[in-house]
Amino acid sequence: MVFSYNWLQSFFKRKLPAPKKLAELLTSHFASVEEIKKKGNDFTLDIDIKPNRAGDCFSHLGIAREIAAILNLNFQLPETKIKEDKKLKLKDFIRVEVVGRGTCQRYTAKVITGVKIGNSPEGIKARLKVCGLRPINNIVDIANYVMLETGQPLHAFDGEKLEGKKIIVRFAKEGEKITTLDGEKYNLDDDILVIADSQKPVAIAGIKGGKLPEIDNKTKVVILESANFNSQVIRRASRKLNLRTDASLRFEHGLDPNLTEFGISRAAYLIQKIAKGKVIKGSIDIYPKKTIAKRINLDLSYLKSLLGVEISRSRIMDILKKLEFKIVHSPKESLRLPTGQAKFNILTVEVPTFRLDIFLQEDLIEEVGRIYGYEKIPVLFPVSALIPPKKNYEIFWEETTKNILKEAGFSEVYNYSFISEKDKNIFGNNNLIELENPLSVDFKYLRASLIPNLLKNIQKNQKKAAKIKIFELGKIFRKNKEKLEEKRMLTATILGEEFYQLKGVVDLLLNKIGISDVWYDNYKPTPEESKLSLWHSKKCAEIKIGQEEVGFLGEMSDKISETLKLSQKVVLFDLDFEKLAKLASEEHEFRPIPKYPSAVRDLAILVPPQVKVEEVLNVIEITGGTLVRDIDLFDIYEGEELPEGKKNLAFHLIYQAQDRTLSSKEIDQLHQKIIKTLESEPEWQVRR
Amino acid sequence: MVKFDLKLLKNQAEKEIKKAENLAELEGIFKKYLGKQGELTQVLRSLEKLSKEKRAKIGKEANELKKFLKLLLEQKTQAFKEKVKKETEESEWLDVTLPGKKPVFGHLHPLTLARRRMEEIFQSMGFSIVEGPEMETEWYNFDALNIPKNHPARDIWDTFYLKTELSRSENEGEDEATASSPTELSRSENEGEDEATASSPTELPKEAKVKMKTKFSSPGGLLLRTHTSPMQVRYMEKNQPPLRIIVPGNVFRHEATDYRHEFQLFQVEGLMVDREISVPSFKAIIGEFFRRFFKKEVEFRLKPDFFPFTEPSFDISMTCLVCAGKGCSACKNTGWMEVAGAGMVHPNVFKNSGLNPKEWRGWAFGFGLDRLAMMKYKINDIRLLRSGDLRFLHQF
Repeated sequence: MVFSYNWLQSFFKRKLPAPKKLAELLTSHFASVEEIKKKGNDFTLDIDIKPNRAGDCFSHLGIAREIAAILNLNFQLPETKIKEDKKLKLKDFIRVEVVGRGTCQRYTAKVITGVKIGNSPEGIKARLKVCGLRPINNIVDIANYVMLETGQPLHAFDGEKLEGKKIIVRFAKEGEKITTLDGEKYNLDDDILVIADSQKPVAIAGIKGGKLPEIDNKTKVVILESANFNSQVIRRASRKLNLRTDASLRFEHGLDPNLTEFGISRAAYLIQKIAKGKVIKGSIDIYPKKTIAKRINLDLSYLKSLLGVEISRSRIMDILKKLEFKIVHSPKESLRLPTGQAKFNILTVEVPTFRLDIFLQEDLIEEVGRIYGYEKIPVLFPVSALIPPKKNYEIFWEETTKNILKEAGFSEVYNYSFISEKDKNIFGNNNLIELENPLSVDFKYLRASLIPNLLKNIQKNQKKAAKIKIFELGKIFRKNKEKLEEKRMLTATILGEEFYQLKGVVDLLLNKIGISDVWYDNYKPTPEESKLSLWHSKKCAEIKIGQEEVGFLGEMSDKISETLKLSQKVVLFDLDFEKLAKLASEEHEFRPIPKYPSAVRDLAILVPPQVKVEEVLNVIEITGGTLVRDIDLFDIYEGEELPEGKKNLAFHLIYQAQDRTLSSKEIDQLHQKIIKTLESEPEWQVRR
Repeated sequence: MVKFDLKLLKNQAEKEIKKAENLAELEGIFKKYLGKQGELTQVLRSLEKLSKEKRAKIGKEANELKKFLKLLLEQKTQAFKEKVKKETEESEWLDVTLPGKKPVFGHLHPLTLARRRMEEIFQSMGFSIVEGPEMETEWYNFDALNIPKNHPARDIWDTFYLKTELSRSENEGEDEATASSPTELSRSENEGEDEATASSPTELPKEAKVKMKTKFSSPGGLLLRTHTSPMQVRYMEKNQPPLRIIVPGNVFRHEATDYRHEFQLFQVEGLMVDREISVPSFKAIIGEFFRRFFKKEVEFRLKPDFFPFTEPSFDISMTCLVCAGKGCSACKNTGWMEVAGAGMVHPNVFKNSGLNPKEWRGWAFGFGLDRLAMMKYKINDIRLLRSGDLRFLHQF
């Protein structure tokens, strides 16, 4: 909110520090000054007033009070002394009725007759302009001026335009309409509080005035309203009408009901001075439940132990007094509590009613602390029991995994947790969680998979980078039956036809995090899944650990590649990281280095192309038993020179025993046995 | 009968070896005399046809000759080899300025790097790392943190709400937490009954207490957490102080983006609760963090701020490292960069977590990791972090 430097100065006799210095002081002790601007012979300070201080500091008066406390100065309240006219009677001009308890804490009104409408004096106009308001006429300007000065929103009606000389504060009726001062039309309903005359709404309470009783050049009788409306009622109406004004902003944050009187007196004073006219004696003041000041006991030893600094009792009391807190009781010795217990050093503090943010002694401690200065608080390491931090294994495995993938040449990306409507159509998913208020259609759903955004990374980078190997470890979100589910996934992708390279990465990763027992099963999509065809149906595997399915590995379907205009085939793995983190193990056992030599025999076999390597391996392993220590597939060949419909698989078989050196005779016998067993398959043929 | 003139053989071979000029010639000589069909080999082979005495005599001579020739050949070979080695060594050459062949490593994201650093520093000071859900209830994100419903204070956090009436799935054990915390609706009604003094200006009057359903709240009360602070309450509900934790994680803000603003951010929450905790200890821990994170003395200051869940509340600003405090566009010419919100835990937050505020005290902070990473690596646009642009990512 923007404040005028000159206006703030007007509350003080002493010269204030220069704008820049003042801004620094306010920032250190009150609230951030975001910007200082020179405006003619004035400066504006844009202060970031937090919502808890809106009640007293959406006003120059409030800021002046803060300045007084920070600089330890005295400040003066603006003049409010009015000469009242005793001949005329208020009730001859207006009667006010408030319908509905709690909607309006206080309604204060004054009547001024015989006003001369005209332009405001330059001084007022200048201040309004500096604060961003457009001068209209002296009466309207004064209402605005007093709002900026005191924080109390005011409204002025032309008294002769109100039907039945009545003001009724009530909720609108269904179907009622209003045209506001700026000519906009609004449909009202029973959620919206209005000011009505005997016939119809004439203003939206606390938000904006209506066109009908507008102050114009002919206005003679001004009815000034200074009210305190329920903050929730105003907030709701403002949102419903999508109409926010300087007044509604103040009301929805809450205001001190005791402020109406000061505000209206100040406005009446200015009207009398500037627009002349007679101020009729007294005011209408509907104030059913008076707000009384709270009292809080402030334990000075608690203050010291919380702030960790010794501040003298007199300094504490000075700070509080400057902020207009009253020290009701400040026993030098002790305060005897009703329980009979004696407590030392306790101040009883009365909180001014304009401080809507103060409830507890912690709130008072903050007031003292900030004015005293946080920079004066010392630095001291805590004294605490030595409790070793717990190791977070989930994070440990996450970091280990990231390192492994980095070493395997993959780069990590962080994508947004959202996908677009378009992505939904491409990738399909019925279990998406939709946002109530998305930023745009591009971020309409929470991602239920890391795949879409990773593929878009490839799409974006494919022209710039020759090789793309990326991964993300992050959360996905989806509906799972009746529940919402949020879990961590690990997805990596390579641009290129690199299925086996990526499979090697999965093997390496799982091995490094201590997971064995990995195998790859053919992907068997359900009919529903195959319709979506995210994965290439023939080039995809389910990754399994024991009997548990932990993810998928495969090539993206041509349909997806085409839709996303990917320049090459893309392979990808998608792993349930939470399952991995549970299965992962740091345990690692040393396997003794074999004492006896090993021998290698090669074996080449012709099999039909559909035969999986695993089938051949299984036969070798089962037949060979423990003496076959390792089998290494070193060549796969299909093509010329080979008989039609065959492929050649070539293996190194490594023979080794734990307890003796194998004789070549023994090895040959076993090797022959393996060959024989392999050839018992009708179409398998070992090459010799 | 074959005539063996071993002397002639010796002379001849000796002469040839001497004359030989390269390894190939030596090999030829070896073949000629000592190969399978070599002259000396043939002599040795024919020995068996001789009488015993002759065989012994000539055999001995022949074998000696064989040894002799072998040695001679070996020496000469060795000499040639050395010569060749020397020659090649002199002719061989490497351009040491040619670029090396790097093993291809990938890259970790700068947020991962910054996060690791932060976690390591706080762990060394006794803080455990815990994580919490990103889909959160209104209760934990707001109410439990003393942020009143339908109050402008809630507007500080521009919130994404979820369009669903379903309840979230909790991990085992967390179900109790949800059950023990009253749902938002029943809670607000209870409070209305309790406070018979209903004059509080923030309380909606009874007449007006019709059910509100604006687009600003979600029917299921579920949202994307706007900060990591809900974990303060979630953790304190289940863990008895004294405690020290940090909570890294994604948070979401419904706001327009530019080079300084993002709608998805990475935050690190910190919480320390003990019996005697005060502002000086907070300053000490934060100062230590800055020193270790940036590996130099970093100036920081506490300014007054407002968070409903801390009292007093601070804003932590550090010297802008982009301009070394001189003022630049990154710090809006102030020389200071706001990097965290913090404060002493509000008594109501203790109450809402089932702890007695008279017994415990604490402080909490929330760091924007994106901003710290930007300061650390001098990144000038926050949007680069989630752009997936490899030209950016490959720099880390």
